[in-house]
Amino acid sequence: MNKSQERPKALEVSNLVKYFYDPSPFQVLKGVSFDVQKGEFLSIVGKSGSGKSTLLYVLSTMDTDYEGGVTINGQLLTGESQNRLSAFRNEHIGFVFQFHYLLPEFSALENVMIPAKRLGKMSSEEIEHNAYESLRLLDLEDQALKGANKLSGGQQQRVAIARALINKPSVIMGDEPTGNLDSKNSLAVQDIFRNLAHEFGQTIICVTHDNDFARNTDRTIEMSDGQIAGC
Amino acid sequence: MAKATKNKVNSQIASVHLTSKIWQTVVAMLGVTFGVSMYIFMNTFMNGVNSTQDDLAFSNLPHIRINNETDQNTYNPAIAMFGGNSLVNIRNRKSIQSENNIRNTAQVMSVLKHQKDISEMTPQLNVSVFFRSGAKKINGTVSGVEADTQDRMFGSAAKVIEGKWSELNYQKPSVILGFVLAQNLGVKVNDNVNILTSDGVSKNYTVAGLIETSVKDVDKSKAYMNIGTTRQLLGKNSDYSSDIMVNLVNRNETSRVKAALQPSLKYNIETWQDANQQLLAASQMRSIIAFAVSFTILLVAGFGIYNIMNMTINEKIREIAILKAMGFSGKDILSIFLMQASIIGLLGAVSGLILGVVLSTLINLVPFKIAGLTTLPIMYKTQDFVLAVLFGMLTTLLAGYLPARKASKIDPVAIIRG
Repeated sequence: MNKSQERPKALEVSNLVKYFYDPSPFQVLKGVSFDVQKGEFLSIVGKSGSGKSTLLYVLSTMDTDYEGGVTINGQLLTGESQNRLSAFRNEHIGFVFQFHYLLPEFSALENVMIPAKRLGKMSSEEIEHNAYESLRLLDLEDQALKGANKLSGGQQQRVAIARALINKPSVIMGDEPTGNLDSKNSLAVQDIFRNLAHEFGQTIICVTHDNDFARNTDRTIEMSDGQIAGC
Repeated sequence: MAKATKNKVNSQIASVHLTSKIWQTVVAMLGVTFGVSMYIFMNTFMNGVNSTQDDLAFSNLPHIRINNETDQNTYNPAIAMFGGNSLVNIRNRKSIQSENNIRNTAQVMSVLKHQKDISEMTPQLNVSVFFRSGAKKINGTVSGVEADTQDRMFGSAAKVIEGKWSELNYQKPSVILGFVLAQNLGVKVNDNVNILTSDGVSKNYTVAGLIETSVKDVDKSKAYMNIGTTRQLLGKNSDYSSDIMVNLVNRNETSRVKAALQPSLKYNIETWQDANQQLLAASQMRSIIAFAVSFTILLVAGFGIYNIMNMTINEKIREIAILKAMGFSGKDILSIFLMQASIIGLLGAVSGLILGVVLSTLINLVPFKIAGLTTLPIMYKTQDFVLAVLFGMLTTLLAGYLPARKASKIDPVAIIRG
């Protein structure tokens, strides 16, 4: 415990409250507070409807309709404008979803390069080099120039993970990131995440159903009925 | 540099969207192409028609006509004699023949010569007469003209189908008849025709030629003579004429020239717009029709583009959501789709220009042999090309903006969570 207190906080959540109004008013988050340390590999589990995905999308800064506070890297993001938030996401947050959401008309390499080009902090050559590095990490180097829609489901999901890594974000968020992968690939992804967290100090937060995945993480938050049931 | 890469990735995405479904892009573009080309075709054709119409009309219509047909019969000799306060009672009052002509032609012409807007002028002496040949008697007009200036203003020499216009250069008893009038009288070139004036003077003239204008009424009732010969027929001096026809350098400047001339001339100055308002009305209505038709086509093209853009955005809604999740702002999304719309608009406008010119050129080759024309008339004006491109681009941008704005407002959470 002592050790973790010394490490800087990557993410602070204080008293999150969120309602859904459609079809009828329903309180989905009932005052959630927790901190995540830099370089921590965290999983969020819970039954369907427990509010775990909703929590993740609030943390992702895409959902701004909530009460409470979200601070990432010491920066309070609650109440920021959409434009500032998208710029922040671009630089500091990487996403992996259950479905890959690649742009089908682009090659795997270009898909990985797009967030870095949007960030615009490096030359095209550097971006391409980094994209190859990311793809190599996920064992996809030889698929780089193939069209995204020509890859298998598992390959597409790994390209999506490579894309999340390209800007070296401080926080990587996953919504069932291994949900579409077989157990071998799933394990490989877990190893990569663990490695990123422990070697490079990137914080990983994943919502998952998979108990094996959750056991593999540093800490698991269990959600139940819009509240944290256990850590 | 950062900004450059950022914009580059937007345009890269836009160009991939455009090229991945090339047929969709081509169809959207063709809408604009047809709109713009129809705009150009309709307007060049209408310009051609208008200018032909004007050329036909001005073949015997001067830009300005000066005559003495004033209605100012206000002179009352009794009032002049006894003053306005007297009660005057005149019984059985009669009008006397008033002089409807210009008696100081040379002086009027010298005033006109000082106006630099005037390109050409010619005096005329128009008289109502009877043409007689044998037992035939036809009512008509004799125009006494100065052959040279008349030809320069109205191109009369080119319309003479038999004989020579230059016969009228000299003061001799010859006349050029409208060809229908000659047919009706049953006379040919070198035959004699008798002319009877309203004062009862009758004289014989030799038919020196036949003239065919494109106006049937003129061909049926008009004859041309040397103005001196005509003065002689009426027994008037050499400074006498009924009208002075004036052409301007720019025929739309009539009102200004009229205002400048009015103080120094005591005669009636009639502009072509006053005399022929139907000409002006017809050409304006044709322009309105041309505009309405081409605007409708562009509007339809706009709806086509709107539909295609909407479809594309619905297809790509998940990709748009993920782009936003990765940090693309609403502005980026808007610019991606507006870029697509403007490329469609630009390509459509350029190909529309080319198609429009091709179409107009082809139409210009279609034979059309009525009223002195050989083919359908076409006239190119720079402003039509500029407006066509402008309208085309504007329609596309507007049609693209609405779906693009919708795309920029997509909530990524709603799409990604399903």
